[in-house]
Amino acid sequence: MSTPSVSVESVTKRFAGHTAVSDLSLQVPSGGIYGLLGPNGAGKSTTIRLIMSILQPDEGRIALFGDGRNSRDLSARIGYLPEERGLYKKMKVLDHLVFLGEVKGIARNDARQRAQAWLERLEIAGWAQKKVEDLSKGMQQKVQFAGSLLHEPELVILDEPFSGLDPINAQAMKDIVVEIAAGGRTVLFSTHVMEQAERMCDRVAIIARGKLVVNGTVAQVKADFGGRHVALGFAHDRHQADAILADPRLVARLDDYGASAELKMADGADPGQLLAALVGAGVGLRRFEVVEPSLHAIFVAKVGADPDATPLPAVAGASA
Amino acid sequence: MNKTFAVIRREYVERVRTRAFLISTLLLPVFMLAMAVLPVLLMSGGDHGSRVAVVDASGSGLGQPVVAALDAATFDDGKAARPRYEATLFPADAASLGQVRDGLIAKAGFAKGKGQDGWDGVLVLDADTLASGKLHYYGDNVSSPDGMNRLQREVSKALAGVRLAHAGVDQALVTKAMAPADMDTAKVTDGKLTGQSGEASFALAYGMGFLLYIAIITYGSRTLVSVIEEKNSRIMEVLTSSLTPFQMLMGKVLGVGLAGLTQMGIWVGTAFVLGSQGPHLAGAFGMGADAAGKFVIPSMPPALLVVFLLYFTLGFLIYGSLYAAIGAMCNTIQEAQQYAVFVTMSILVGFMSMFGLINDPAGTLGTTMSFIPLFAPFTMPVRWSMTAVPPMQLALSLGLMVVGLLACVWLAGRIYRTGILMYGKKPTWGELWRWIRA
Repeated sequence: MSTPSVSVESVTKRFAGHTAVSDLSLQVPSGGIYGLLGPNGAGKSTTIRLIMSILQPDEGRIALFGDGRNSRDLSARIGYLPEERGLYKKMKVLDHLVFLGEVKGIARNDARQRAQAWLERLEIAGWAQKKVEDLSKGMQQKVQFAGSLLHEPELVILDEPFSGLDPINAQAMKDIVVEIAAGGRTVLFSTHVMEQAERMCDRVAIIARGKLVVNGTVAQVKADFGGRHVALGFAHDRHQADAILADPRLVARLDDYGASAELKMADGADPGQLLAALVGAGVGLRRFEVVEPSLHAIFVAKVGADPDATPLPAVAGASA
Repeated sequence: MNKTFAVIRREYVERVRTRAFLISTLLLPVFMLAMAVLPVLLMSGGDHGSRVAVVDASGSGLGQPVVAALDAATFDDGKAARPRYEATLFPADAASLGQVRDGLIAKAGFAKGKGQDGWDGVLVLDADTLASGKLHYYGDNVSSPDGMNRLQREVSKALAGVRLAHAGVDQALVTKAMAPADMDTAKVTDGKLTGQSGEASFALAYGMGFLLYIAIITYGSRTLVSVIEEKNSRIMEVLTSSLTPFQMLMGKVLGVGLAGLTQMGIWVGTAFVLGSQGPHLAGAFGMGADAAGKFVIPSMPPALLVVFLLYFTLGFLIYGSLYAAIGAMCNTIQEAQQYAVFVTMSILVGFMSMFGLINDPAGTLGTTMSFIPLFAPFTMPVRWSMTAVPPMQLALSLGLMVVGLLACVWLAGRIYRTGILMYGKKPTWGELWRWIRA
């Protein structure tokens, strides 16, 4: 594997009162989509800010592209969408994008053309001459998203890029992210929505309380989690299943959604046993499938089950 | 460098394009015009002669020459001259003096538009007046020192004339002897006449100092507000990953500063047009050439203008950078205002020092202050306008200001860089020091 795009080595960052990131190491390889997952307050944004040199680590070091310089010196190669969206409210949309391009070192005329193209692609070209404050939140987010990609960076760092977007816009953004990765560039994004990460990411790192919990390719993470997993869908008589699902001889862990459930079989238990028990109890099943564990299940198992890992209240300046 | 320029352009264009900028730019010249024209219009109506009743109880015929002297006094000279007083003699004697005087005083203060019976003032000459020079004046304008001085001068002239006549001196000779001295002043620089009067050039330097003072107070703080707003809008998270704090703040100080300078440039330009076109404008407002004369702005030699502009611009920017540093330290405007007092204080020290320099512009105080970047923009123009400043001193002073400006922005950048994400927490002085060294 070539030089990693981002290399975080034993980084610790403390804020007054708590440790946001604790001895964290991770490597984002060049190319592909890397998901940084974790509950609120896990240290995702702090990690990203450390990578962006907005914060300085108390311990450890961070390297980008294997280069000793910090992200600002390499800013022409990096695109960044912060979690806290911020644009100059009084500026016109097009002017703003041109400005964001210029501070990344693109010539003014070039920046203008690219900005125009992005606005068309995101279907907000009609708003180019409007002030930012006249746009909806979702549109502002699209503008900022475009602003972080204007200079065609080889590394794109997106902090919670899909939060606050409606499904259609989220889909449009997802398409762009996938396209960037398909072009051989690297995307690092943080999220707490596991389904999204599972579908998009080549690699993931799950962090909780500032510490790395799981790290690797999605397939590898699932394989390492081990065990046999069953996905259930209920048609009727759901309550009849309660006793069976609570039986520790059959079920090691249950992730219950009401109308559906995902569970990990207990060691030595057989899915056939479970099916027989459910059918015998008269539970109407819509689905019974032996599956790979979902990232969500892994996430909940690794993070949620640990009572110390309950989401921390979001602290300003150090949240997520 | 290009990035800094992008920031400068953004700050400048976004400011100049606002409606508020346009309105304030247009409104001030309108006010200036009104301020220039209104007093002239009012004064041209107000230059009416004062009606003075002269009660002569001197017994020595003093009343007649006093009335003659008052009637001879005029506003302005030459063709535009208009009588300053309209004096009427009321003969009296020691017995009737009180009665006559009180009767006239009862009508005093109603002169304006109140017909023939009202008086602006009553002047009483008694038996002692000729010998002792003591006399009384009762009027509604006694609180005007200028008016009283003039009146006293006119009466003194008449008294001196009468005294000399009594001593047998020829009346024509008296008139000649009493002709007043009239002094014009002119400034000399390096052995050459500059053609300006000393008073006029100090007035210019003072005017510039005052303008700078106003400009810093009103505009300088915009840099502060702008820095704080940006911190709160959190766009700086994107910016800090692309720009150095120095680039960001330098762009801000210059961009915001240039917007302010543009507006002031428009205003000063308007003032000059008003000044040079004064007579035409006055004509348009139906005023005489005399009134127009009040518009005239003293002419400025190009060197003086260049020095003024340099110091004004640098002074304006240096204070802008100070405000930026304060903005970098604080999270709210309220908090910043506490620190901004220090800036205001140093502006005031600089501004007040101008008056201390009038007597000794080339002294130690003046020279020292010329080398302190915060005071130089006030001190140097005064020195330049009043004496010859050695070119080395000028160059050193300007150089130090540029260094001061850069140092200030650099310092602000150091604070900004660290303070940027410390929302909601006010740094202690110790922390500030650590941020600067970090």
